[in-house]
Amino acid sequence: MDPTQLNLLDMADRRLAWLDQRQGVLAQNIANASTPGWVPKDLPPFAASLAAETGTGLAQTNAAHLAGTADDILAGVTTRPTARAPDGNAVALDQQLAAVADSQSAQELVLNIYKTYLGMFNTALDRGAS
Amino acid sequence: MELNKALSISASGMDAQTTRLRVIAENLANENTTGTSPGADAYRRKTVTFDNRMDQAVGAELVSVSKIGQDMSDLPLRYDPSNPAANADGYVKVPNVNSFVEMMDMRDAERSYEANLAVMQTTRSMLSRAIDLLK
Repeated sequence: MDPTQLNLLDMADRRLAWLDQRQGVLAQNIANASTPGWVPKDLPPFAASLAAETGTGLAQTNAAHLAGTADDILAGVTTRPTARAPDGNAVALDQQLAAVADSQSAQELVLNIYKTYLGMFNTALDRGAS
Repeated sequence: MELNKALSISASGMDAQTTRLRVIAENLANENTTGTSPGADAYRRKTVTFDNRMDQAVGAELVSVSKIGQDMSDLPLRYDPSNPAANADGYVKVPNVNSFVEMMDMRDAERSYEANLAVMQTTRSMLSRAIDLLK
């Protein structure tokens, strides 16, 4: 049994990559908190990008259903600003910092799951005492 | 890795805010700097504008100071005939620096700096936790 082929670790991997990318986007928003005309960006929600990557989208059970394609979901990277400064800047620092804290705790959760899961493999391999 | 990019981006943000703070300090220090010859212009308030620029080495958009300009609003006049910069009517041009505006700008710069620092700290702890997986 190859541990990397397991769904859970694969999922954790994808989640980590998404959080990694998001942290970059959020850092960009906060660094540009005084740049005229800057509209904050964000990634599409993880569930949406996962569905786009793995092709597990909405099922079409009727011919009239619209097909949600990956491109549609991934295109929505510019957020709708809640307020704008006179110079056109729309970064709300509190919202951005909340998102940073959010991705931090999500990353902690994923890494803990990852660790626990790997620990189970170690137990199975009789290296659990370490 | 994006986390390393995030560190560079935050660092560029902190750098830009530091420049802004320097300009604010310049403005406040020159709040009373008048000209030296009769009718000469006084110190003009400096302004900072930021711009995002693509950094090829980092592979991300960093922020930088695009221009340090001058506030071209009218210089207020003050009646002070004994001043060496007084014109024929006894009026002196004084700097168009408003200490309240500068204070507000300073608070804003401080707040942005703190936000960048917070992102940096969070990113660092995320990186170190990822490294902890190897232990």
